[in-house]
Amino acid sequence: MRCDHLEPLIEAIADGSYQPGAADAQHLAACGVCAARLADARAIDGLLAMREVAVPPPAFTATVMARLGQERWKTERVIDLGFNLAIAAGILVILAGGAGLAWSLGLVRVSIDLQAIWEALGSFDVTSRFLSQVQTIAMASALLTMALVLWWWAETAAD
Amino acid sequence: MTGTSEHELVERCRQGDEAAFRELVDQYKGLVFAVIARSITNRARAEELAQDVFLKVHKGLPYFRGESRLSTWIFRIIVNALSQERPDLATTSLDETDDGRPRLEPAADDRAFADLVMKDRLQKAIEQLPVPYQVLINGHYLKGLRYEDLAEALEMPLGTVKTHLHRAKRRLRHLLETEFR
Repeated sequence: MRCDHLEPLIEAIADGSYQPGAADAQHLAACGVCAARLADARAIDGLLAMREVAVPPPAFTATVMARLGQERWKTERVIDLGFNLAIAAGILVILAGGAGLAWSLGLVRVSIDLQAIWEALGSFDVTSRFLSQVQTIAMASALLTMALVLWWWAETAAD
Repeated sequence: MTGTSEHELVERCRQGDEAAFRELVDQYKGLVFAVIARSITNRARAEELAQDVFLKVHKGLPYFRGESRLSTWIFRIIVNALSQERPDLATTSLDETDDGRPRLEPAADDRAFADLVMKDRLQKAIEQLPVPYQVLINGHYLKGLRYEDLAEALEMPLGTVKTHLHRAKRRLRHLLETEFR
C-alpha cells in the first residue's frame, strides 16, 4: 500500500525536492521495490544532469545571417515584381487613355492629316472631349504615382 | 543579460541594426541549439531548425512587447518549432499517466559500457516523450534556464512546471523500465 503512495513521489525524493517523512523513509529502507525505483530515479537524474550539451558549429551565426539576407532578397524580389507590374499597368492605362482620347478626337484618322489635327486642337470641342477621358488619365496618373512611391519606399527600405 | 541591455539589443534589432541581431544570435545560439539538439538527434536537422528559430525571432521582434524575458520568448518559439517538427507528440496531454511497474535493470556488468547503453536508452526514451515534457527535461538540465522561464514559455504556473517535470521523469523511468529495457 505504501509502495503505491510513494511511487509518484519517487522523482521528487530523488532530486531532493521532497523530503520523505519517517514512515516513508523507513519503508524505503525496507522495501526492495521502492528502493530500486529510487535508485533508478537517481540514476536517471544523474544521467540527465551529465548529458552533453550540444554546441552549435562555429559558422552558425554566419549561416543565420546569410539565410536572413536570402529572406530579405526574396522579399525585395516580390516588391520589385509588384513595382514592375504597377509600372506596366500604369503605362498600359496611359496608353489606353491616350489612344481613347486620340480616338474620340478623331486624331487617329487625322494623324496623317495635319490640317485636321490643327482644326481639332483649335476647336472648342477639344476640352469637352478631353474631359470625358479625364477619369482614365487620372487613374493612370494615380497608378504611376503609387508605383513611384512604392519604388521610393523599396529603395529606402533596402538602404 | 540585464533587462536594460536586453531591451537595448531588442530595440537596435527592431531598427534594423544587423550587428545587433548578430549579437543576439551569438548570445542565444548555445541555448537554442542545445535544447533542439537534445530533441532532434539528426544534427543537420537540429542545426536547420535552430536557424529557423532565429529567422522566426527576427520576423517576430517587431511584435515582441517585452512583457517576458527575451530568453523566455525565444524558448516559446523553440517549443512551437519542436511541436511542428514532431506533431505526433505535440498535442499529447501532459496529464496522462502510465503505470509501468517493472524496475530498471543494469544493462551490463561493465560499468562504462552500461553507462553508454543507458545514455542511448535514455535518449531514445526522451524522444518518445510528448514535446512539452521533452522541453521540460531538456531545458531544466541546461544552465541558464530557470523554472520561471520554463513556466512562462510553457504557459504554466510555476508549481505546475515542477509537478510536470517530476511526471516527465517518472514517465521516462517507466519507459526505461518497459520499452527500452
